Amino acid sequence: MKQQMVSGRTSRTMMLVVVAILSLVFSACAAQSSAPAADEKFVFGLVLVGPINDGGWSQAHYDSAKYIESKTPGSQMVYVDKVNPADRPNVKVEQVVDELIAKGAKLIITTSDDFKDGTREAAKAHPDVTFVHASGDDVITGKAPANLGNLMGRMEYGKMIAGCAAALQSATGNISFIGPLVNDETRRLADSAYLGAKYCWNQRGGDPAALKFNVTWIGFWFNIPGVTLDPTKVVNDFFTAGSDVVISGIDTPEAVVEAGKAQAAGKAVFAVPYDFKEACAKGEAACLGVPYFNWVPSYTKLINDVKGGTWKQEFTMFGPDWADINAVETSGIGFAKGKALTAENATKLDAFIAELAGGLNLWTGPINFQDGTAFLKDGEVATDKQVWYMPQLLEGMEGQSVSK
Amino acid sequence: MHVSIQQLNKSFGPVRANQDITIAFAAGQIHGVLGENGAGKSTLMKLLSGVYKPDSGQIFINGTAVTLGTPRLAVQIGIGMVGQDPLDVPVFNVLENIACGLQMPNDAEVRQQIIHWSTTLGFPLHPDQRMRDLTVGQRQQVEIVRLLIAGSDVLILDEPTTGITAAQVDALFAALRTIVATGKTVLFVTHKLDEIVALCDTVTVLRAGQIVGTQLAMPISKETMLTAMFGEFATHAQVPAKPIPTADPRWQLSDTMLHDATFVLGPLNLSLPKGMIIGLAGLEGSGQRLFMQHLAGIARPDRGQIHFDGVPITRANPTAAWLPADRLHEGIIGAMSLREHVLLLRDSLLAPQQTAHEKAAQLIADYAIKATPDMPLQQLSGGNQQRAMLALIPESAQGILLEHPTRGLDAVSAMAIWQRLQVRRDNGATVLFFSADLSEVMQYSDAVLVFFGGHVSRLLAHDTLSEEALAALIGGVGFAEVSA
Amino acid sequence: MKTQFVALRTPVIAMGVALAVTAVLLLLAGADVLAAFGVLLGGALTTPSRISDMLMLLAPLLLCAVGLTASFAAGQYNLGIEGQMTVGGVAAMWWLRGYQDGSPVILYWIGAVLCGMLMGAVWAMLVALLKRYMHVSEIFAGLGFNFVALGLALYLVFGPWKRPGVASMSGTEPLADALWLPTLTGTRLTLITPILAIVMLAIVWRLIRHTHWGLQVRACGLSALASVRMGVPATRRTFEAMALCGACAGMAGALQIIGVYHSLVPNVASGIGLMGLLVALLVRADVRWVALVAFFFAIITSGSIQLPLALSIDSSISGVLQGLIVLAIIVARARRGEDAA
Repeated sequence: MKQQMVSGRTSRTMMLVVVAILSLVFSACAAQSSAPAADEKFVFGLVLVGPINDGGWSQAHYDSAKYIESKTPGSQMVYVDKVNPADRPNVKVEQVVDELIAKGAKLIITTSDDFKDGTREAAKAHPDVTFVHASGDDVITGKAPANLGNLMGRMEYGKMIAGCAAALQSATGNISFIGPLVNDETRRLADSAYLGAKYCWNQRGGDPAALKFNVTWIGFWFNIPGVTLDPTKVVNDFFTAGSDVVISGIDTPEAVVEAGKAQAAGKAVFAVPYDFKEACAKGEAACLGVPYFNWVPSYTKLINDVKGGTWKQEFTMFGPDWADINAVETSGIGFAKGKALTAENATKLDAFIAELAGGLNLWTGPINFQDGTAFLKDGEVATDKQVWYMPQLLEGMEGQSVSK
Repeated sequence: MHVSIQQLNKSFGPVRANQDITIAFAAGQIHGVLGENGAGKSTLMKLLSGVYKPDSGQIFINGTAVTLGTPRLAVQIGIGMVGQDPLDVPVFNVLENIACGLQMPNDAEVRQQIIHWSTTLGFPLHPDQRMRDLTVGQRQQVEIVRLLIAGSDVLILDEPTTGITAAQVDALFAALRTIVATGKTVLFVTHKLDEIVALCDTVTVLRAGQIVGTQLAMPISKETMLTAMFGEFATHAQVPAKPIPTADPRWQLSDTMLHDATFVLGPLNLSLPKGMIIGLAGLEGSGQRLFMQHLAGIARPDRGQIHFDGVPITRANPTAAWLPADRLHEGIIGAMSLREHVLLLRDSLLAPQQTAHEKAAQLIADYAIKATPDMPLQQLSGGNQQRAMLALIPESAQGILLEHPTRGLDAVSAMAIWQRLQVRRDNGATVLFFSADLSEVMQYSDAVLVFFGGHVSRLLAHDTLSEEALAALIGGVGFAEVSA
Repeated sequence: MKTQFVALRTPVIAMGVALAVTAVLLLLAGADVLAAFGVLLGGALTTPSRISDMLMLLAPLLLCAVGLTASFAAGQYNLGIEGQMTVGGVAAMWWLRGYQDGSPVILYWIGAVLCGMLMGAVWAMLVALLKRYMHVSEIFAGLGFNFVALGLALYLVFGPWKRPGVASMSGTEPLADALWLPTLTGTRLTLITPILAIVMLAIVWRLIRHTHWGLQVRACGLSALASVRMGVPATRRTFEAMALCGACAGMAGALQIIGVYHSLVPNVASGIGLMGLLVALLVRADVRWVALVAFFFAIITSGSIQLPLALSIDSSISGVLQGLIVLAIIVARARRGEDAA
């Protein structure tokens, strides 16, 4: 009995001590959590799926926002990066948005397809804040509340240029595409890359039958060990299987890194990374160039619209500024040529870009789906919506049109 | 090396395990440390070997005060202890087991040392033998060699003769004499008077945590020692054995094969009658344990069946109670109290309207257990744990299977236990036990089963056997004639 | 007096060491240590919305930790808890997919939770079966089944249960609004979730500490051999304790579906099970402390979300702190000569 009494008293004492420590800490920090000062600043919040230095999709957003912050006095960015189930397992988009709004954000930009449901819920919960979901489609589907818009770049063009660069430089015509997970967007972009490759391969006079275009989906936008395929391994498998150019559709730069290593080991292989202007730096010797997003023009317009009260809900698509696709202030989609692209091919690529600028539309029939059914009849031009909701890969491409 | 202790105290909760111990052990001698269970012998030795830290008091080595923080430190200073259960790594071989604890082992050198000490001490050890293939006695020899190689000048042995064969006991005693002849010191902890008489140069008697007889030089009469241990003592009484009935067996084994990872026993065809005490004799590891586990329903036979009171055994059953030697591992649940044990066994232990607390208190009184109903059993001394385990045998148990029933018990406690078991026998229960102590087998058995070479003898009535004849059978001499 | 002091001293010192090491790490990262601890320890309690998010993390954490104390009591290290939570979510989703507009919602809620509990229990029993009959350590079997469960969820999300048109890592098509557990206005708190967690805590506590069943479970955990010897049906009790743990985890998974994610996401468990394991490691089979420790862990995990925003510190420091606390306590116990488990 005595033993029990002693231990019972001890636990109670312990509990008291712990509670005391906790309450001390709470009172200490209660002072700090005052509301943000309401000055003249316009605060906008960014929810990023990857880290801000991923050398890809998330960094493109972050760098654009930083650029705006430096150019536009009075604007301030707040952000949370790595919002994904692997890095922040118990964090929901809504929670992150709450935190950003607590920091004073009046405009929230969420930047992953996976944030669709969360962005919608957060927008419903904060009707006085403007939300823009980059890569979402709630406006088209009609699910979006009035304060939620969508924004996306016409990366189709970037991917076509990427495909063209790959076809121009490939010795064998054996091109591979490393994709994230399978959905409308990723199919659309893989298809675009294929169309660009096919066009330039034929222009170059290559044997149409020799062009191989293999797509492998890893399962997510970047490597999650144990969940996705390992992109490093996938890229090396491509090279082993005879591909000499890999086009990346994922957020991280494994393709160009591995191609760079293979180059250093004496293999004539190349890669086209994705998303981020400086991505070639990870493997310059093997980099043909990178199609990238430049969010500066669209973000600038968004911020000005929200600030000026002229923002309207819409599904915004922006594209390249054909006058100069690499102009920071105006072109939303760019293509930065890499060092590995030969001067001759660079000239040819510029010609292709000029053709696109001149109105060349590769989404013109006849185009069949992978399963042989007709997508576009001879001479038929695809609508934006047809391209946006891309149901399959195209005839001539290898790989899965739908996930297993 | 001269070891002395000044005013040493150690308590566990309210129990004062050692009180004001002051003593000195001269080098080059074997010092016996004698006492009944719970007298504080093991605690004192653990203090000396760095396992426990004293609450107060000092230990001096060659006149210098030392702090023996850990067993490792104690070994470095030169004090090594061979525990009741040798601790070693079963998958290692002898060499690895010895080398892994040394500071800067050189395999070739260690191998040389093992061979040197084994030869000197007469231990049949080989550096490449796997530990798991060794008997308890051999593992103890490895432990002694290990401590000597590590440079121990003082060797402590805690109840070293339990669980080893008579031949190994002789080898051990000879080895210890050799060791002290080199100027080292041996502290020999036991509760067996014969061993003190046979081996020791001096004896120190502990009672209830205190020294009652300091450094008595041998020879001393057993009566003197017993008086010191208990204050009073009773002599053993020879109990007449019962004849073997034939019909209506308690256990019936028909063409039964038993095996475990390393051992096969059988085929067995045996009838074990009701109302008998049956001793299992044999070298340690001859299948006695396997046999008991099967009779208790803990393990199931490969072939054939075992019937208990005419019913095939399918699972463990409190009416066939098995009391394993490894108390804290298999016998009782150390972290639980006697009250909780009573609750676990409530269906066979508790009378109607009786609370577990009442029952536990009653068992404590009946079996003279030094504990409270709510004390975790791991806080009890070994002897009291043994008493608790015996106390927990349900009244309804008609089969009682005991491994080393009096291991770790002093003579008086052992007799009390046997008296209770005899009462159970007289009420019709069948009691099976095995003991390394042949005289115990001879003294208490009504009949004996001899285990040899994977086979079991038929049931041999006690009065047909002499201790010499039994010893011969255990060694296999004449076993064929009695094999079942 | 002395023993009391010693008993109290160990965990407090261990906590202190863990906090100090974390502080050093923060210093090395160039952070404002006091501010960081302020956010970490108090950030989750500053606004109703943050408190509600913390409670919504606490509830499944508590369920897992409570379940794990049951399996710990039986001596099982149930590392399969994440998988059990995942399949609980899967089973709940399976049930909810039968919903049509106008069906009685309450039936679907209760059914989803029961399905989750059942499936979680079955998943845990698989581990117990492997251990008992194939001699596979429950640690490895559990980890293995975690991957199987994740694979199952991924397969369903990207396969048979995928959203119309677009399979997405963000899960299946959201449930009909009616199936979302109602929340307190202006927060994401579904009050029933923490209440259920507390109820389970009370039930498991009572079962383990105050019933004969619980005594037998604890006996198996402390010494399987000895309890078998005394006639405890050890295999059965071990299975039952594992099933109870699986049921708790499955319930947590189901509640995550109807209360938090509103769709089946592959990562239903999202590390909550493993965090529960840390809690259980700290309290071992002592249910009394579960709530307090889980509360503390939920606070620092929840609070850490603000770290990158407030102080540009990576939020993973909360995991570091939790790990250090557990490590420090285990080391302290080992030094005191208690068993590590």
